[in-house]
Amino acid sequence: MGKNRNYREAGDSVILYPENYINDIEGEKLEDMCDIFLARGFKKIIIDFSETDLINSIGVSIMIGIIEKIKDKKGLILFSGLKKVNHDIFSIVGLTKHIPVFSTEKEALDVVSCEDRLPM
Amino acid sequence: MRDKLLFNICPEGEFFGRNREIDYIFRRATESHKSPNIFLTGRKWMGKTEVLRRVHRKLFWDQAHVVPVYYQFRRYGSVESFSEDYLKEVLKQYFAYKKREPRILKSEVSIDKLERLLIDSDSFELAEFISRHREAKKSGDKTAVLRNAISAPDLITLRSGIPIYLILDDLDLAPYINLFNEGPGIMKEFMEALNSGSFSFLAASSTKKVLEGGVSNGSIEAITLEGLDEELAVSMMMELCRQYNIEFDSEILTLAAFKLEGNPNYIKNLIWAAHRADKELVILKDFVDLYANELVDGNIGFAFRSSIHLKGLSDLRLLSACANAGKAVSEEDLAEKFRISPEEFRKTIDELGTAGLLEASLGSIKWVGDNVVKDYIFYIYETRVKGRSAEEVKTCFIRDGLKEGFNFKGAKIRGRFKEEAAELVKKFNGQSMLKVLFRNQAFSARFKNGPPKSVEKKIDEDLILPQIIGCFDTLRWEANETGAPILIAHGFQNSRYDSGNEVVWIIGVKEATAPFNLGDIENFVRRSIILKENFRATRIVRWVISKEGFTAEAQKRAEGEGIFSTDNVQFRIISDSIDDKAKSERLKSADKIVPVKEFEVVLPSATKAELVGARAVEEIGTEMGFDEDSIGQIKAALVEACINAFEHSKMKSTKVFLRFVASGDRLTIHVQNGGADFDKSAQSESIAETTSGLPHKRGWGLELMKGLMDEVRFEKLRGGTKIVMVKFLIKKGEGRDGQE
Repeated sequence: MGKNRNYREAGDSVILYPENYINDIEGEKLEDMCDIFLARGFKKIIIDFSETDLINSIGVSIMIGIIEKIKDKKGLILFSGLKKVNHDIFSIVGLTKHIPVFSTEKEALDVVSCEDRLPM
Repeated sequence: MRDKLLFNICPEGEFFGRNREIDYIFRRATESHKSPNIFLTGRKWMGKTEVLRRVHRKLFWDQAHVVPVYYQFRRYGSVESFSEDYLKEVLKQYFAYKKREPRILKSEVSIDKLERLLIDSDSFELAEFISRHREAKKSGDKTAVLRNAISAPDLITLRSGIPIYLILDDLDLAPYINLFNEGPGIMKEFMEALNSGSFSFLAASSTKKVLEGGVSNGSIEAITLEGLDEELAVSMMMELCRQYNIEFDSEILTLAAFKLEGNPNYIKNLIWAAHRADKELVILKDFVDLYANELVDGNIGFAFRSSIHLKGLSDLRLLSACANAGKAVSEEDLAEKFRISPEEFRKTIDELGTAGLLEASLGSIKWVGDNVVKDYIFYIYETRVKGRSAEEVKTCFIRDGLKEGFNFKGAKIRGRFKEEAAELVKKFNGQSMLKVLFRNQAFSARFKNGPPKSVEKKIDEDLILPQIIGCFDTLRWEANETGAPILIAHGFQNSRYDSGNEVVWIIGVKEATAPFNLGDIENFVRRSIILKENFRATRIVRWVISKEGFTAEAQKRAEGEGIFSTDNVQFRIISDSIDDKAKSERLKSADKIVPVKEFEVVLPSATKAELVGARAVEEIGTEMGFDEDSIGQIKAALVEACINAFEHSKMKSTKVFLRFVASGDRLTIHVQNGGADFDKSAQSESIAETTSGLPHKRGWGLELMKGLMDEVRFEKLRGGTKIVMVKFLIKKGEGRDGQE
């Protein structure tokens, strides 16, 4: 997870900040974090990728698993701060059809505060 | 555990680099229609038996389309003993497979006991073959005994509807089975039975000679098992060294892999020898000592002693003469020189042919053994014929080995560049190419040391390449010549196939680490004058290619003599554009040439090693002028390719080899592992969506590479696969496919 901060709680939402390279190890750390926050009752999770330069296919697999888990718990997941290449990667995989993507963490937070604006 | 009950194979940790062949044969064997017969050939100890047994094992456990039957030929006392053994194995293995009981397969049962077993299991249709065998044997009808046995696979297939897949090992021993004493061999009849059968077979042999005389009815596919390529052989040695706690230096292992010609059995024996003797493989002498000992007293020497049957000193002299001749020798000359009767001579040649050492064809004999056997023949010749002591010959091996190893670096690269040059020339087919790519002096003046300068106009002229119809080396004419190897490329120009348009290119190829110098040019000029005599009526073009370029004097002399000259950079541009018509069109003017730059990175198997490659490509891409987004895409695709290469290497200590070729309009990335195939099928099989609508979790690597790069292709290599990815450089004002 990110060097200075791993996560930030904002009301009933939590923002996670993954490392600059999401591979199997980093992906699993992210998954563990999500599990913890889901167990604590957080239903709105924003993953901010602004510090992430690369996500490999194993990282992508883990991300899909995370999304499944959150959706199973009727939670909400949003992405923000995606670099162009990571947006391309999620787009190739087809994740951008399922997950709302925002330019910044703030935009994502604004939207979760009025949840009904979100495409579900 | 279940595998132990089938035919013996080597432990998984010691098995390297044949998965591609095994998977391919397995796929062909299990195709729904009758698959083509396969003939697997390769030098002795190259691992053919291992491949066959692993194919058998896979067929036994992993499919239900065919019944695998493995049979290894040996020497038999009579045709009856072969027939009984063969019939017993066919019936026993068929029965074992049907019952899925591998214990039966390995059990040593007599034919009577097998008959009882079949009857007790109500397999009367199989037991019937044994009863017919007994009757034919009792009446002394050898032909009937043989026919009953060799027709069994076909009849069983027809009756059961489930085809047998016959795996025949050491087929080269089959011609030694005679129907009567000194009578005709069974080969013709046996092969007819195979070819007319309703089943398919896989046969392995050290020599292609068994293919002569109608072995195939046309539907045979030949696969040659070569030595492991250098990277794979070195990976194998490293892995074994680690397993046996042997200290090593990778340079020495590279040398050893080269000397042992990538032969997996030699490699294993050498490492075992190091383990037994508690030796390291750190310095050159470690290897040379072990090699000499292995040949003289070790397992390699033992294997040679037990498989090369020499009846006397005349056989040895004959073998030594062929091994050292360096070319085919006339049968007549040999028979006369060694005073051997024609019958004896034929017998000896046949025996040595079966041992995979000599090949007789059209009245001449050629040495076809490898260099390790050659060294062994040298050893026994020197000790038995010349009377030198074993220690003296061993010392000689060590001395020569040290000298050879010392010059190894140069030796290692010899041949590769020459092969590349020959391949390139064979692609000449009337293309138009800039003349400057064949004139090193002009090329250097224009492109070296800074941006292109404006020089003489005629370098922008085109050279129309001939249509080359064949390319070969000059060893036949220049056996004792020194200097750069020369290739002869024969062809026609102007698309006219008459004498006036016939052309011969005499091509000198220097691949040493020093540039082509004046001495080299003079040597080339002298030799080309002699070689020209072979093509008197033909137009001659002389071309020298030097990997390390040319000295100024050499450039000047080549220009003065009208000799084309090309260095590595020019060579790559020619090579690149000859494969790519579009690029060739774009290079209409010398101004468009941007010399190719190549970078190589070797990644060890370590956590996040792929990021080292990503970092390298970021530097290269930035230097080339790719924008940030494109660099991100290239990095991500490269990371995927590296992960795939490591994942599918199936070797703990493998390395991944990256080559980046930066040319004017594109970056080409080659990613190669030292092991098994990249698994394309696994990559693409799970791309559908899940029931929840989300994409499937696994198998996105290849899709990502394809999505992020402009071209992705797989190239099959010996013992592995290479991924080649291309990203085109889009400059300002240009668009992909002509789009803005």
